Amino acid sequence: MKASKIFLFVAALIVLSCSDNEEPAITNGSLKIEFDNVVGSTNLQLNTPNQIYTNTVGESFNVTWLTYYISNIKLKRADGSYFIDPVVSDGSKGYYLIDEMDAASQVLTLADIPAGEYTEMTFTVGVDANQVTQGAQVGPLDPAKGLFWSWNSGYIFFAIEGVAGVSTQEGNVFQYHVGGYKLISGNTNLVNNLRDVTLSFNGDNPAVSGAKTPEVHIMMDVLKAFKGPGSEVSFASNASRHSPAACVDIANNVQAAFVVDHIH
Amino acid sequence: MGCGVDEESVENPYAFEAPPNFPAATYTFQNNPITEEGFELGRRLFYDGALSRDGSVSCASCHQQHVAFADPLHRLSIGVDERVGIRNAPAIQNVAFKKFFFWDGGVNHVDFVPIAAILNPLEMDETIANIVVKLQAEEKYKTRFRAAFKTDEINSQRMLHALSQFMVLMVSANSRYDRYIRNEGEVLNAAELRGLTAFQQKCTGCHATDLFTNDDFRNNGLDATFEKDNGRERITEYSGDRGKFKVPSLRNVALTKPYMHDGRFKTLEEVLMHYQSGVKDSETLDPLLRNNETLGIALSDQERSDILAFLLTLTDDSFIKDKRFSQPPN
Repeated sequence: MKASKIFLFVAALIVLSCSDNEEPAITNGSLKIEFDNVVGSTNLQLNTPNQIYTNTVGESFNVTWLTYYISNIKLKRADGSYFIDPVVSDGSKGYYLIDEMDAASQVLTLADIPAGEYTEMTFTVGVDANQVTQGAQVGPLDPAKGLFWSWNSGYIFFAIEGVAGVSTQEGNVFQYHVGGYKLISGNTNLVNNLRDVTLSFNGDNPAVSGAKTPEVHIMMDVLKAFKGPGSEVSFASNASRHSPAACVDIANNVQAAFVVDHIH
Repeated sequence: MGCGVDEESVENPYAFEAPPNFPAATYTFQNNPITEEGFELGRRLFYDGALSRDGSVSCASCHQQHVAFADPLHRLSIGVDERVGIRNAPAIQNVAFKKFFFWDGGVNHVDFVPIAAILNPLEMDETIANIVVKLQAEEKYKTRFRAAFKTDEINSQRMLHALSQFMVLMVSANSRYDRYIRNEGEVLNAAELRGLTAFQQKCTGCHATDLFTNDDFRNNGLDATFEKDNGRERITEYSGDRGKFKVPSLRNVALTKPYMHDGRFKTLEEVLMHYQSGVKDSETLDPLLRNNETLGIALSDQERSDILAFLLTLTDDSFIKDKRFSQPPN
């Protein structure tokens, strides 16, 4: 026991002296990213007693649940190189579950980012095939979180549920569960609903340093998730969607629903 | 030291060893190394009704060792509240070598197999989060999880990993056929050898390799329409996959009645009769079952009886009697 303590102490000394001798100190810093879910120009409120929101086809609705996975975050530097948020095979790092019911989940802190200025960010909405095929996961990817599709292995990438008077479902609910990532060789018909989102900081570049943790404030607009490059969603015509093919249009909409609102 | 470890591993009943006549394993062992403690924990979970909502259904309810972990009694699986499932419970064997699980292949990793049965309202009708809570409350599991994973935290990943450790060691590769093909002194009789030849000519288009499945999905002509169960199409949402089901392994097939995704055939004789004369046409019927004007597989009665004799050589008595997989004492 004693010997191993001495060994550790010596090893620590060696490590310390090595890092002292080599590179001039590069300070790493952190970056916070806040995901704020909005409905048009207002902040999203869950479970409002009335259907206070209106989609682009004039249907009133409220929202009871909104959650989505963000992963594979990359920050681009002016020289074109990237900081890549590391991913761990058990899902404990690099995957984030943004849940409207949990304020803490909406602020991500990326650590160990080399100091410097970053010009844009890229992330994936969803959980990629490589990660799923690693087997049972922890943290945000724990199946106990309720977003694992048991019958069709994989995660629901983006889930939104609520009530809309025009819905013909029981209780007038609408449920859209966007998932589907499978790439099986020989089957080109499988739907891949993973979407990469790239957002420029528009010159208002966050400068990461040991002294300052910039905060990027992103807004995800529910109305855009219902109308965008994919299609215009109507609760009257199709309020219950639970399979990859049924949600391609929403995946396409969601890809365009994120904007950088401000940085400070 | 290295030599000692190697010698030990030959004797270690918890080491995974791929039989030499099998294709490469697919399981992610690097994420879940097998230990005696992990395996023994998984064994207890496999036989524990706590995985179901009301405690009435365990994995072993539908997967019984004496029939290669299939269900001999029920055409369709029976879940909590005597609910009747939509398909026949398949055997559990050689899962470390497979890419797809369940008749429609919707599950693509051994770790996820229990989740599908647990969440299915017609099977165990329970939630993963609730099982974790139940396990955390049991002293015996606290001890066993700590022994297996060196931590006091019980979570779903460790539960699923333990179940996987138990299931991936369920390797069946010691049938008379195996001992014959590996030149281990086994002899097949004339009918069995004729059956092997006929099998290789007429069945290995699907039941390929020594796993006796190509792990693919095929429409084998059971029905002409598929309103009741569209099979693989449910997962791929592609009409070209309508009515296709996973090609099952034929290992221990003499034990794993009833047959087909809905358990419609009680005997292997009925299965072979189906291929000989019962195949029904549809758009997605497997091309191998469509020979010019005639559907099915051209089989003489002699070939049918020889193939049946051969299939019986795939029964692995040591697997169904292996004490490692039996119901644990506590």
